[in-house]
Amino acid sequence: MASEVKLPRLGQGMESGTIVKWLKSEGEPVEKGEPLYELDTDKVTQEVEADFSGVLLKIAVQEGEVPVGQTIAVIGEQGEDVPEVEDRPEEEGSPGPAREEERERGREASEQQTEIREPVAAQGNGGRVKASPLARRIARERGIDLAALSGTGPEGRIVAEDVERAGAAPTAAPAAAPAGEVERRELTSVRKTIARRLTEAWQIPVFQLQASADMSRVNALLDGLRSDDGPRYTVTDVLTKVCATALMRHREVNAQWTDDAILLFPSANVGIAVAAPQGLVVAVIRGAERLQLAEIAAARAEVVTRAREGKLQRADLEDGTFTISNLGMYRVEQFTAVLNPPQAAIVAVGAIVDRVMPEGVRPMMTLSATFDHRAVDGAPAAEFLQDVKDLLEEPGLML
Amino acid sequence: MPEVSYREAVRDALEQAMRKDDSVFIMGEDIAEMGGSMGVTQGMLDEFGAERVRNTPISEIAIVGAGIGAAMQGMRPIVEVMYEDFLTVSMEQIVNQAAKHRYMSGGQLKVPLTIRTQGGAGWSPGAQHAQQVEAWFVHVPGLKVVFASTPTDVRGLLWSAIYDENPVIFFEHRTLYGLKEEVPDELEPIPIGQGRVHREGSDVTVVATGRLVHEALSAAEEAESKGVSVEVWDPRTLQPLDVDGLVASVKKTNRCVVAHEAVTRMGFGAEIAAVVQEQAFDWLDAPIERVGAKFAPLPFAPVMEEYVVPHANDVLEAIKRTVARG
Amino acid sequence: MAKVERKSTLSEERVRTFLREMLLIRRFEEKVEERFRAGELPGFLHVAIGQEAVAVGVCQALDDGDVFASTHRAHGHTLARGTHPNAVMAELYGKLEGCSHGYGGSMHLYDVERGNLGANAVVGGGLPAITGAALAFKLRKEPRVAVAFFGDGATNIGTFHESLNLAQLWQVPAVFVLEDNHWAESTPEIQHSPIRDLSKRAEAFGMKVMKVDGQDVEEVHRVAQRALKHARDGKGPVFLHVETERLVGHYIGDPQVYRDKEELRRLQETRDPIKLFREKHGISDEELEEHDSEVQELVEASVEFAKAGTDPKPEDALKNIYA
Repeated sequence: MASEVKLPRLGQGMESGTIVKWLKSEGEPVEKGEPLYELDTDKVTQEVEADFSGVLLKIAVQEGEVPVGQTIAVIGEQGEDVPEVEDRPEEEGSPGPAREEERERGREASEQQTEIREPVAAQGNGGRVKASPLARRIARERGIDLAALSGTGPEGRIVAEDVERAGAAPTAAPAAAPAGEVERRELTSVRKTIARRLTEAWQIPVFQLQASADMSRVNALLDGLRSDDGPRYTVTDVLTKVCATALMRHREVNAQWTDDAILLFPSANVGIAVAAPQGLVVAVIRGAERLQLAEIAAARAEVVTRAREGKLQRADLEDGTFTISNLGMYRVEQFTAVLNPPQAAIVAVGAIVDRVMPEGVRPMMTLSATFDHRAVDGAPAAEFLQDVKDLLEEPGLML
Repeated sequence: MPEVSYREAVRDALEQAMRKDDSVFIMGEDIAEMGGSMGVTQGMLDEFGAERVRNTPISEIAIVGAGIGAAMQGMRPIVEVMYEDFLTVSMEQIVNQAAKHRYMSGGQLKVPLTIRTQGGAGWSPGAQHAQQVEAWFVHVPGLKVVFASTPTDVRGLLWSAIYDENPVIFFEHRTLYGLKEEVPDELEPIPIGQGRVHREGSDVTVVATGRLVHEALSAAEEAESKGVSVEVWDPRTLQPLDVDGLVASVKKTNRCVVAHEAVTRMGFGAEIAAVVQEQAFDWLDAPIERVGAKFAPLPFAPVMEEYVVPHANDVLEAIKRTVARG
Repeated sequence: MAKVERKSTLSEERVRTFLREMLLIRRFEEKVEERFRAGELPGFLHVAIGQEAVAVGVCQALDDGDVFASTHRAHGHTLARGTHPNAVMAELYGKLEGCSHGYGGSMHLYDVERGNLGANAVVGGGLPAITGAALAFKLRKEPRVAVAFFGDGATNIGTFHESLNLAQLWQVPAVFVLEDNHWAESTPEIQHSPIRDLSKRAEAFGMKVMKVDGQDVEEVHRVAQRALKHARDGKGPVFLHVETERLVGHYIGDPQVYRDKEELRRLQETRDPIKLFREKHGISDEELEEHDSEVQELVEASVEFAKAGTDPKPEDALKNIYA
């Protein structure tokens, strides 16, 4: 029966060799132990002896590089049928593959062996806030209270991103699918962050309240303030002032839920949604309750400019305690906004639309407020919204 | 309680083990009539005879290797390598043989060998007679490494090392041999792998070994007077390390300084620092400070030697640096 | 070296045993070469073809409580001492059923029950422990001997000198067996030693020297018995200088470019211990065939056994580090 001559493994680590020259030709008789061919390995060129006696029936590889284990010739009896020698370098028990499989198993087992550390409860560390050194530095530089933040790092650790994004907000942005071919928009990290935070926010138990406000007084106020050389005033500016005032009267709404405690903030840092090149961001007007309308308008104008130019600073996005989302410019009349965690409340306002009311035709604006029910109860929320409506309908009450 | 020196404490452990157990014997250079270059084995030749208190030729390879062979046959030899610098001569036997027989045989063999050695600067012994090389051995799986800093600890730990079934490199410190303290009447074995709080504190943990334990305690006193409360923690066993004890201390104080006499770079302190930041990252208020010898062979001239080697003041400075941050 | 013709005093049973043991090593090593070339055996392998008589002669002379340490070329000693070929082959395949449970491989074969304290990959690495084991036997007054196998290459390294010095100084019951095959890997003896007679090195320590032709298993056995008795009787260690031949390369796959091929062929013809034994004892082809086919079956079976063996689990790597 014919025997296949395979390229032997002549040294540890040898994976292939180069056949230089055959010392016997096809049809020649061969004795076991006789030099059969010359082989070049990376160490040396040497003669390789025949492992069988018989006739060299076929030389399958005349010369060139051959992997260890591949059949290179057939030795058998004169006149025997030569089996088809296919190119099958990988065989049962041939070099590399058999041991390689074990090595692969060892490597995989090593990768899977991760020490599963018990997730440490956020409060299980003696009241110590877990924050990375970088996060602490940023917080320190900006006077941010770490305890007010929740962390997205391992085991609830506050990382730099959490401190920076304390102000960034997700809002509903309609996206129209283009007709024709399916367009694929790769996810940017901003979008991923938005998605993640939206998902988190969605899991918070919320309730919504709605009210409509007669905007006649506000319209009149804005008309009166319009001038050629002064700052431009918008409904949003008024809303900002109004909400800030209401928040100071209803501190339970200017709040945040944490695992340990509900935090009530001393100041209303009102966030307003602004279109920036990378998407909608929430720019924060700090201490809005202390600002005059003019100051609010100025701050809003500046931050919107920065947003449009893509030059928003961290301070613009951080420390918000409440958010106003205004889709009125798109003529959306009413919508529900998703909370902007860790804030406990958000108000969504729609377009001012003339409606027929018992008093006559009035410019009405719908406000839909969403509240984190863990932090805020129905009554205080309702009172807050009531106040907002009242202040919008009678701005003089703010003064 | 009797007051005993570190040297006497080592001897006490050796004598008690040899009295109790025929399989224990000691060998090393000049340990018989001379009683050892550090005087540790004085009097033992008289009590136990030359078969069990064996002077050897200057052949660290054979001394350690013979210890390995006798240990594999079920005895408990204690080999003395006169200066830890000379462990280098027997490295092959320690690292390739002693540490690996159990593993390579698939668990068929044990090597309950104890290698006692000493080192320490401060008396101008020169570059080849005062190194602190414990870090090299912590790096070898299969070995255990012990470094006690007080008479009570050295006695209790040597006992445990002798009776440990694995090869133990047992480091003593030259300048501590004369250190006296009250020790319990009875020898109390101290478990290998257990650290010790020498001094409790709340502002910073100083992890120290060998002579630096005492330097650290000195620095702690000074720091206390300045309102900084220092905890001094001694691992005592370097391999296996009492990670729980280490982490508990740092979680309490939120700051860590590690001090050893060995060269700082790639010293044992680097391992401590890595372990602390892995396991207690969220508890650290400041980066970990390391105190050790400067990166130079040990010089001869006293003025230079003192410059290279760390002292209490270096520990104090490190404490100040770590407390000032964060 | 003058060859002293001795009349054989071996019983027929002994003849059979020696022949079978040598054949077992020979066929096992040939099979190992074959399986290595087929890519089935990881790591490196050094076979003892040509040195079978040394392993068999010495190991057959050991008493039950005696211990020995071997070299990187350890399959012969291990088999000759009685470790089953299944256990050895399984170890080469890295299986749990191997004599070192997959932890050691060819160069770290251990069988402590049979006194095999391990093959050693560091040249001369096992000698100091043999001095130590012998010391333990002496201290405990046990009639046991510790034996070290090593090659001519090892007579240059520090462990050799320190171990012999200490053993002789303390008069411990050790036998140091120099398997002098005149090659340290690719370096011939004339290139590694300034002296020609390596036993002078033992004489320098004052140690008793015995010499023997390592290709004559009967002689090896006889002289080994004398050496062991000398040590066992408390007369001190013995240096047993065995002249032998490595009839293959240093490692499997070694093309021996450094060796004169003609000379090698000559040695293979004239200094093969199995051939010489056959000639000396007039063993017929039929008798040889009978033993040979049994041995080959045993070896084939060991490969099957090994291949069917159990792989260690990856996490087993973390066991057996500490006792």
